[in-house]
Amino acid sequence: MNGLLALPALLLMALVFGWPMLRYSWLSMHASSVLTGLEPVSNQGANWIRLLEDARFWQDAVQTLRFAALSVGLEIVLALAMALLLDQRWRGRGVVRALSLLPWALPTTMMALGWRWIFNTPYGPLEQMAQSAGLSPLNLLSNPDWTWLATVMADVWKTTPFITLLLLAGLQTIPDDLYSAFRLEGGKTRQALTAITLPLLTPYILIGILFRTAQAAGVFDLIQVLTGGGPAGSTESIAQYAYLNAMRFLDFGYSATVMLAGFVLLSLVIFTAAVLLQISGLLRPLKS
Amino acid sequence: MPLMRRLLLMLMGLLLAGSIGWSSVHRPEQVTILMPAPFVDATADQVKRFNAENNGRIALNVIRGPRDTESISDLAISSLLLGTPPFDALLVDVTWLPKYVAADWLQPLDPWFDSDDIESLVAGAQLGNSVDGALYRWPFGADVGLLYWRKDLMPEPPQTAEELIQIAQNLRAEGRVKEGFVWQGRQYEGLSCNFVEFLSAFGGTWLDPETGQPTFDSEAARLTAHWMQQLITQGTSPLAVSNYSEPETLQAFKSGDAALMRNWPYAWAELQSESSAVKGRVGVSTMVAQPGASPAATLGSWGFSLLRGSPHQQATAEAIRALTSPDAQRDRFLRQGYTPTHAALFHDPELLEASPVLPQLEEALSIAEPRPITPLYAQMSDLLQRQLSGLLTEKRDPDQAMDQLQGATLTLLRSAGGVS
Amino acid sequence: MNRSRPLWIALLLIWSLLPMLWQLITSLTSSDALVNADIPFQQRWTLAHYRELLSGDPPFWRYLFNSSLVGGLSTLLTLLLAVPAAYGIARMAPASRRTIRTVVGAAALFPYVLLFLALLELAREFQMGNNLLAIALPYAGLALPLALLLLISAFEGLPNELDDAARLEGLGVVDRLRWVLMPLIAPATASTGILVFLFAWNEYPIALTWLSRDDLLTLPVAMARIAGSSIYAVPYGAYAAATVLGSLPLLVLVLLCQRQIVAGLTNGAVKG
Repeated sequence: MNGLLALPALLLMALVFGWPMLRYSWLSMHASSVLTGLEPVSNQGANWIRLLEDARFWQDAVQTLRFAALSVGLEIVLALAMALLLDQRWRGRGVVRALSLLPWALPTTMMALGWRWIFNTPYGPLEQMAQSAGLSPLNLLSNPDWTWLATVMADVWKTTPFITLLLLAGLQTIPDDLYSAFRLEGGKTRQALTAITLPLLTPYILIGILFRTAQAAGVFDLIQVLTGGGPAGSTESIAQYAYLNAMRFLDFGYSATVMLAGFVLLSLVIFTAAVLLQISGLLRPLKS
Repeated sequence: MPLMRRLLLMLMGLLLAGSIGWSSVHRPEQVTILMPAPFVDATADQVKRFNAENNGRIALNVIRGPRDTESISDLAISSLLLGTPPFDALLVDVTWLPKYVAADWLQPLDPWFDSDDIESLVAGAQLGNSVDGALYRWPFGADVGLLYWRKDLMPEPPQTAEELIQIAQNLRAEGRVKEGFVWQGRQYEGLSCNFVEFLSAFGGTWLDPETGQPTFDSEAARLTAHWMQQLITQGTSPLAVSNYSEPETLQAFKSGDAALMRNWPYAWAELQSESSAVKGRVGVSTMVAQPGASPAATLGSWGFSLLRGSPHQQATAEAIRALTSPDAQRDRFLRQGYTPTHAALFHDPELLEASPVLPQLEEALSIAEPRPITPLYAQMSDLLQRQLSGLLTEKRDPDQAMDQLQGATLTLLRSAGGVS
Repeated sequence: MNRSRPLWIALLLIWSLLPMLWQLITSLTSSDALVNADIPFQQRWTLAHYRELLSGDPPFWRYLFNSSLVGGLSTLLTLLLAVPAAYGIARMAPASRRTIRTVVGAAALFPYVLLFLALLELAREFQMGNNLLAIALPYAGLALPLALLLLISAFEGLPNELDDAARLEGLGVVDRLRWVLMPLIAPATASTGILVFLFAWNEYPIALTWLSRDDLLTLPVAMARIAGSSIYAVPYGAYAAATVLGSLPLLVLVLLCQRQIVAGLTNGAVKG
């Protein structure tokens, strides 16, 4: 009976999450492009051979990973600061918390446009400030070496509130007595951070890292609208490349291959991270 | 009374039927065409004129698409993939045509444009419109790559690859010009366009015309790759060329810093403007070619294609004809500098007066070379751009680069279901 | 720390709100003033961008309507599926419950943009494209993991006696849910509903591939399209106006329901 109640929901989920993975696995072993009328024709793994030699895919993989790494790293640090601030009791905290949530609530593509303007050369506010400070043009969106940093900034702005809430929840599970006891034993307030807070917060931080890394690996909306993958493909992500292969090049077979490969890479990264964390003992607090 | 009432009802019925029939006859046929934003503005007057002339019969409505070239195609494809395009025709770039045809989205235009119409087009404009013998696109403009040269620095434009290097190097050595030859070397579609011309100079073609296979392992391709790299390593072209697209190239030439430039026809008007340092001292020619090889000018152009599912095919064809008529072409050339497609216009006194390089344009059009006509063009071009860019910026070995490119292109063909 | 707190609070607010405030300012600045910093203060302001947006074709409010419709439908469908499912799962044996939770949790982590191709194929196959009703299906599917996690915890928090008592009184499952249990988990349901609505409103890749007709676009897709469509490089006044108008419903929603949102997110995170 219980199973019956859950069946429709689980079926829909299986359809939406499970079917694509099965389909991609099969499709990636076939040629399904405009040349085949989008009908799958077996090509004996030629898609995978092509992927292994595909410089653009590997470049995108590196770019996606570095974007995720920097983004998540900055977000955790920033969110921790914000959470510590919001955890204390002061007047108007609720309002400030609500306001700090706003970046997260807005559609990414919408604010991406906003960021395009903020970073715009020569008319955007950042460029204007640089000009009045006498600096040479920043060209934040047309520099193949640094534009990805602009995308990181926009991403950090949008998703930090989410992690802040997560860490806040964690902070609120730490009983106050621990802090009082610590202080009684002569510990300074600042040391409490590293002695008590961080260790107990670790599970939440890890969940945050896990969740955000998975999300960041699939970054699409932001890059699509903020930079379109440029300049010179320096901000292009795996998801974008997969999208291009399907919607611009009309090569469904290869698009499926790219997405599957992206998924495999992501799983590898997360698995490696989990193993490393296990080894380094950072997972210990979870056990206690 | 019943009779009167019956008569009245019949009358009302007749009137109703008549008015329905009347309105369906008199409601103008809606024709919708999707164009990139710049072209919408360029054709605004012609659209208005067409609607006025066909008042009540056909109502032409233009959808303003994104400014960016590829975005227009993305927009169209997203509708076409779902099977419900909200337009009857669209402007198609010459490199997309094979893809759209292979996807079975286009209706052949042969019923409305016959061989006489095709003959009336200038040579280059006749290319890139047909796939497998059927006409799928009616050209809107005709763009080809040109070699611009400084009349005050050399008596004649270079004819061969060696001459080009020699002239450029001499001029630089004499200090008469800062850079020799500027062209588009950035990693983007423009690089592929330049490559097609350079490759033809050495007697090669991207795809073998008979087998449709890439020929990067040919002698011609190797020579081309070496030559392109040498342009930079020997200083004929500045290193910055590896990051140039059309605007940067034009800027360098316009300010008088370069002796030779490869660019599209639009540059001419810019070079004759008041802000140009080389006004009146520029000549236009075609790209160089080795003895025994024929020079080529890469074909780039937009054209109208009719969508297969359109319920207004006749009306749309009429609209297309009107927007590309000789008068419309003349109008656009005089006002915005769009190269005409009608052969007769190239000898028109009014146009010749406005632009004395029309004859050179015509000559270049006669050696127009389309980029590979294959649905996989975009991916092939991407592979080419990457290798070439590596050649130019990281000094990769040209022979190796060409071999890699050959292998990668073959893998691409195999993975996408093409013959290999 | 206490003394410098106001400074930190101010920084937090500036960081969070400045980009949006900048959009507001930009939306009210005339196109000329956007590219010319020398135009005097009094002459810089205009409502032209808003007028343009609201009189456009289709008018801007149409996108807000589409997004609301899709959001509402998706939320309804998700809750319809998730509530009974969560109830059932919460009552399962701990072992199966944990398995399902893990699977659902993994699905919640999944970067769903990677699903777009298969879903697009389904849309093509079953003619579900350009249909605001049909798109609620994949949206519900994508939102179910989060919804399930939240609601399962909510149901687990209820004492079993209530349900047993109601059953003894002869109430069937539907009635039990409707009259006894759902009122008790109303806060969790509200949180879930709001979060699902936010998700559906902000979703981009599926909407991008399933919707192509101008008048059916949801807000994120419409914004991305507006981005590319001008001949000039700087129609930022119009963008900004679109951003402001597009954000208003969400801002209102978030400010009004921030408690539920926060509760939902933290519960989902903690229990999930």
